[in-house]
Amino acid sequence: MLLYVTQQFVNALSLGSLYALMAVGLAMVFGILRLINFAHGDLMMVAAYFAAFALFANLPLGLALVLMIGGTMGVGLLMERVAYRPIRGAPDVAALLTSFAVGQILQNGTLLFTRLIQKPIQIAFPSPELLNGVIAFGPVTVPRLNIVSLVTGVILLVLLSLFVTRTTLGLSMRAAAEDLSAAQLMGIDINRVIATAFAIGSGLAAVAGLLFAVQAGQINPYMGFTPVLKAFIAAVIGGFGSIAGAVVGGYVLGGLEVFLTAIPGIGDILPAGFVSPEVQAFLKQWLPASLTSYRDAFVFVALILVLLFRPNGILRRREREEMQ
Amino acid sequence: MTDLRRAAGPLAAILGLVIVLALLQASGLAYWQGLFINLGIFLILVLSLNLSSGFTGVFSLGHIGFMALGAYGSAILTLPLREKQEYLPNLPAGLAGVHFDFHLGPFPLGFLLATLVAAVLVALVALLVGLVLMRLSGHFVAVATLGFLVIVRVILFNADHFTRGSRTFSNVTPYTDLWWVWAWALVVLYVVRRIKRSPFGRAMLAQREDRWAAQSIGIAVMPPRLLAFVVSAFFTAVAGSLYAHFITSFSPTVFYFDLTFRVITMLVVGGMGSVSGSVIGTVLVVGLAEALRRIEDATLLYGMSQIILAVIFILIIVFRREGLLGQREIALDRLFVKGGEPSS
Amino acid sequence: MKGKLFALVVIASLLLAACGGAATTAAPSGPIKIGGGFALTGAESSLDVPAANGAKLALKEINAAGGVLGRQVELVIHDSQYKMDVTAQIAKQFVEQDQVVAVIGFTDTDSVLASGPTIQAAGLPFITAGATSPKLPTQVGDKMFLACFGDNVQAAVGAEYGFKNYGKTAYLLWDKGVEYTTLLSGYFKARFTELGGTLALEDSYETDATDFSAQIAKVKALPQQPDFYFISAMPYNVGPVVKQFRDAGLTGPIIGGDGYDTPDLVSVAGSAAENVFFTTHALMDATGGTEGIKKFIAAYKTEYGHDPENAFAALGYDTMYLIVDAIKRAGSTDSAAIKKAIEETKNYPGITGSITFSPEAHVPQKGVTVIAIKDGKFTLGAELVPEKVPAP
Repeated sequence: MLLYVTQQFVNALSLGSLYALMAVGLAMVFGILRLINFAHGDLMMVAAYFAAFALFANLPLGLALVLMIGGTMGVGLLMERVAYRPIRGAPDVAALLTSFAVGQILQNGTLLFTRLIQKPIQIAFPSPELLNGVIAFGPVTVPRLNIVSLVTGVILLVLLSLFVTRTTLGLSMRAAAEDLSAAQLMGIDINRVIATAFAIGSGLAAVAGLLFAVQAGQINPYMGFTPVLKAFIAAVIGGFGSIAGAVVGGYVLGGLEVFLTAIPGIGDILPAGFVSPEVQAFLKQWLPASLTSYRDAFVFVALILVLLFRPNGILRRREREEMQ
Repeated sequence: MTDLRRAAGPLAAILGLVIVLALLQASGLAYWQGLFINLGIFLILVLSLNLSSGFTGVFSLGHIGFMALGAYGSAILTLPLREKQEYLPNLPAGLAGVHFDFHLGPFPLGFLLATLVAAVLVALVALLVGLVLMRLSGHFVAVATLGFLVIVRVILFNADHFTRGSRTFSNVTPYTDLWWVWAWALVVLYVVRRIKRSPFGRAMLAQREDRWAAQSIGIAVMPPRLLAFVVSAFFTAVAGSLYAHFITSFSPTVFYFDLTFRVITMLVVGGMGSVSGSVIGTVLVVGLAEALRRIEDATLLYGMSQIILAVIFILIIVFRREGLLGQREIALDRLFVKGGEPSS
Repeated sequence: MKGKLFALVVIASLLLAACGGAATTAAPSGPIKIGGGFALTGAESSLDVPAANGAKLALKEINAAGGVLGRQVELVIHDSQYKMDVTAQIAKQFVEQDQVVAVIGFTDTDSVLASGPTIQAAGLPFITAGATSPKLPTQVGDKMFLACFGDNVQAAVGAEYGFKNYGKTAYLLWDKGVEYTTLLSGYFKARFTELGGTLALEDSYETDATDFSAQIAKVKALPQQPDFYFISAMPYNVGPVVKQFRDAGLTGPIIGGDGYDTPDLVSVAGSAAENVFFTTHALMDATGGTEGIKKFIAAYKTEYGHDPENAFAALGYDTMYLIVDAIKRAGSTDSAAIKKAIEETKNYPGITGSITFSPEAHVPQKGVTVIAIKDGKFTLGAELVPEKVPAP
């Protein structure tokens, strides 16, 4: 039983790391622009395609990573310049809706491109050896991918917080996140700040996209939808706009999902005699494995509760009043 | 005299519609009938969303959840006994015996009743949901209503005794035809237009423009929002029922993000807050989507139509954010009236 | 006003487009038109595109060999975009504007049911390339045919194979967001428990899941590992599921359905895909398959630049040949004659197996092939017919 709990705990941490990485990129952009960028998931998809084609061309892993991150940043910056900059200052919802449209363009563009180069719609992802397999800590197994996610996430976040606290540009970003118009009045070059935010957000999306592609095993033009939804839930739960919040939210979401999968059906796996037969029967009847299928509903109920009672997320962060 | 002249415009439009529908019906061309039925159903969806989100500025991304509930609710009610036993063998005893497939002469009264019952039930659900969610604003409410969409979907997948879960709900009697769809569309048009001109409507638009200013002059924020939400949920459920009895088969996957974006596109193109805008937006987007789809099939450039529609959407948001019509209306009632008599 | 001009342009282009496809009476010497409905964009496209590709390949071969009844064959393909209202529209387009004599297509039940009623009402035979719900002919009508065996058949074989070869206890995992996987697991459970087997644990996952560690941890925690694992999965999940199972140290046999029939399984899972068995239509392997399969794989690769993505490519190919064969035997393009000819199909040698229909059975009696994966290759495990099949 202890083993089971430990294993699930480890699973939750692993899943949480991946979600945290996805959520931070989203939160970066929201913090400054108040823009929920639903095309973030499609950035991950584009990154996965860049990586796949680089690896298919037998480029060394390092070069493939550089190409992937660079390419995704390029797409992100283009996105910002063409679709989001013209509507700065518009109500939040306008940008949110625009991001859907941008996502559509990326998805269908990728679809057309893959047909053009005669690749199938779904391509098995050439996972680098580094990310394959598991490491065993005694009887508890952890996929190498999850360890890499965790480590990468930590490194990137440390770098990010250094950037944001120690550099001028980073400071400007924090100022802009605090109050965009005031920052502008102070002479901060808003365009540069926003472009940087998008670049960093896209870079983070690229890394998350690669890890997600390895986990999913294959890539297709529509793969970005689920990750962005998860990233989104994580960011909101943790405190939208706050990077630390996105990280916390990622782990909370990972934990919630694993917990909601681990508990139903527990009556079936308890070792004999661990609990009295009455308790076991009770568990089997009231927590059947079929409850797992309600998992997404519970997650969103949790989300709605957070929105109602802690709109600034679990990590409270003073947010500008919604002047609507 | 001017009253008659003012009514002449809309009446002429309705007459024109009736003539077109009659011709379509008589022609027997299912393709064009289908297109017009789709048009009508989307129009109802767009008008309802306009009422709830366009007028109040409170964006609901979960409205298609109401459509799903309306579709399943009405279909469960109208499914004849034989089909019920075949496809929904595990319905609880009360519902298993119910089958609203009765007629009053040639008129499918059961269908109307089922639609109304389902829509009322959905409106009640919307009341509860609205009480909870309508106090939020901006992207918070957008996110929360998105949550509602997902929750409805999960429930539909799991309540498989009622809905068959992931298996397609099929063999629904095809009651829906041109007349049903457009009769309902006209009702919705009328209702939404009336609400817009009423004090409630003005309150909605006021608090959309500036919530704090509106509150400061005593306009309560919750009642108009809630009313808009509930009424629009009612009509969205009606659209769901019409859809269910047109396509005759569906599953929870139909009522999800894709349909949501399509409706939002039509709303934004036409203009959030304009009833005539919704009509124009729907006609344009449905027509364009169909034309592009045919071109796509001919040129083998699959995916192109979606890109073009997305680009148009972005262009509208960037260059004409309020949509083609903004909040203005096409004054049909001024068609036959000379001079500057104001109409809103 | 710009809006009005725009509207006029749209209406004009619509009319032009409609006229372009408008009905002209099909001259008896023109090509024979068959409708092909597929979701070439959208979530189902990874299954429908291969099916369409297979059908187009078959078309090319048929026409190169002279067509049928002295006329060339034309496959009119419309993309349903995996939107059900569009699917219903293209059915009407097939019937009214394209003047097709029969329709093939789709790999999922939702799409077949959205388009079926229109096609049925027009009296046209409709053969679905990949939808496997055995209830379809009952739901749509007597013009509906399946090109594959029903899920109840392959699930029964899976249950019997597992029971006979591995034992009485099993673990059941299925994708609960998709009809095919839900049906398959339901039929498996029915047959397996009927044989006397017991399920140690049942569990499910969302169709868009990529991480199965939570479910796997539950299996690992079982007091005693079951004799085998039955995992009902879609082609896009099969690789990660199998890989994560093995990575967690679960080495027991894994059995599944024809969703496993994709090279992606081995590409993604690699060496983890040992001791994996699945039921499918035919061994689609360039070295181990039949002559027909080998030719098909080679031709597909030449035409499209890559190997067939999954079993649906072969099914699309067979479906096209099936309908043309029926037209040949019917001796005419009359829909009723074609339908009768389909029903009279006996032992048609498709590359996905021998296909037989009858007036009572619009789901083909096809043998089920069990594939075993050894050393990263698909090998023939067995060719079975189920002893007893759960009712649809």
